[in-house]
Amino acid sequence: MKKLLGLALGILTAIGGFVDIGDLVTNAVVGSRFGLGLVWVTLLGIVGICLFAQMSGRVAAVSGRTTFEIIRERLGPRASASNLAASFLINLMTLTAEVGGIALTLQLASSVHYLAWVPVAAVAVWLVVWRVKFKILENVAGLLGLTLIVFAVALFMLNPDWPQLAGQAAAPTVPEGEEPATYWYYAVALFGAAMTPYEVFFFSSGAVEEKWTVKDLNQSRVNVLVGFPLGGLLSIAIAGCAAVVLLPAQIGVTSLSQVVLPVAQAGGKLALAFVLVGILAATFGAALETTLSSGYTLAQYFGWSWGKFRRPVQAARFHLTMIVGLLIGVAVLMTGVDPVQVTEYSVVFSAIALPLTYIPILIIANDPEYMGERVNGRTTNLLGTVFLVVILAAAVAAVPLMIVTGAGS
Amino acid sequence: MTGGGKTFDAVLHILDRQVLDVDKLPVTAVDDIELSDLPEGPFPDGTPAPVITNLVAGAVLATRMFGGRPPSSRLKRIAWRHVAELGTVLRLNIHGEDLDLLWTERWVHRHIIGRIPGGSHDPQ
Repeated sequence: MKKLLGLALGILTAIGGFVDIGDLVTNAVVGSRFGLGLVWVTLLGIVGICLFAQMSGRVAAVSGRTTFEIIRERLGPRASASNLAASFLINLMTLTAEVGGIALTLQLASSVHYLAWVPVAAVAVWLVVWRVKFKILENVAGLLGLTLIVFAVALFMLNPDWPQLAGQAAAPTVPEGEEPATYWYYAVALFGAAMTPYEVFFFSSGAVEEKWTVKDLNQSRVNVLVGFPLGGLLSIAIAGCAAVVLLPAQIGVTSLSQVVLPVAQAGGKLALAFVLVGILAATFGAALETTLSSGYTLAQYFGWSWGKFRRPVQAARFHLTMIVGLLIGVAVLMTGVDPVQVTEYSVVFSAIALPLTYIPILIIANDPEYMGERVNGRTTNLLGTVFLVVILAAAVAAVPLMIVTGAGS
Repeated sequence: MTGGGKTFDAVLHILDRQVLDVDKLPVTAVDDIELSDLPEGPFPDGTPAPVITNLVAGAVLATRMFGGRPPSSRLKRIAWRHVAELGTVLRLNIHGEDLDLLWTERWVHRHIIGRIPGGSHDPQ
């Protein structure tokens, strides 16, 4: 019974933890412009993140080595230092976007300007990272994030033309008035949002935080393989809501209030309350994950002591990194830069950084010195290699598409 | 290099690996290794092969990437005799606290993290 509860909890947190500010904004933008015409990208991204999150978790559980230690060992100091610089900066950008997301949600709930909420949000994130146990922070954020299911409920309440939605999803076309380049730009963005590298840093470090062993692998596999796809369905529901309400009305998504507009229209104040709690939990959870990831990547590259399972004084440089990361995020937001725009850029830059993270994982997962007999099977390797090609294509296409489309405008 | 009949590749199996102290506390990554001195000029017959004398960490990482070499006095060393086990990590037989190269960790601990309330408690 206890085992079953643990399993349920793991799945639920995986669902709630899947969606972050990047998924929220990108899916709503895409839904409002292309309907469900990019659902295939979300599906592709879900398969990819399942594959590589599971692989990095398995490597961490079997060998005790986390993703960034492996990147350093395999790429050598120079290549991995540039990898670290890129990953750290992009993670910082995502962290900034998530803290901005918390502040924007609080603004929607309270009518107090979001800039007043930014320091509050950052302090709250830091307090949790400083004092709360890993397991608790992971579970609470994940479970509260489940309230985002209200997006799926809202989609049904909006009573959409289902065959039309299915048609958009099954036979994707570039709508009139949109350039093909813009379509592909958002395809890359959506892919980056689903496969953000911090999820893998967090997942593999989390496996060490929770002291996973080979015995925990089955449970983690179920968590990922059931939880992430269900979380991905939430992403599709967000796009679906935008496709039903915003696309016909030609409302572009430039702020968080437009993301939640379809839910408010479908379910009124109660639904709005639910969705705000959900977004708050999702962004807060992701802010915790990205804050921790900033510490994880730097500490693992340099071989510092790290981890929430230690007291802060036993991982001093790790905690200092996270504090500095949060301060930088706050400083960037305080310049008045639009958090929604930071989010949109962060997912595209994530797409560019994807190969840097995923290639070393694939290599180590095949190294018997680390993995013993638990090296990748043939199917996993085949899928992994196919995905590597997709990931490389997305990474290479990202910058040219960004320039050609003026970042999707 | 051979150890117990098993052959190790110093670049592949030692460089950039994580070093843990006797309590499994992470110490550093192996930024470089130091070899025993060789005589100048052509080697006379029977010169012993150089052996690893120290693991090195710290500023040497920058020079390993960009070339050059830091003055010997600036190198932060761990003597090879303290290496107890060579696997996917290097295990030491001493406490990290005794090592000079952890002075930054100690400095941040003492002056910043240790001064924030709650820093020395277990997370709850």
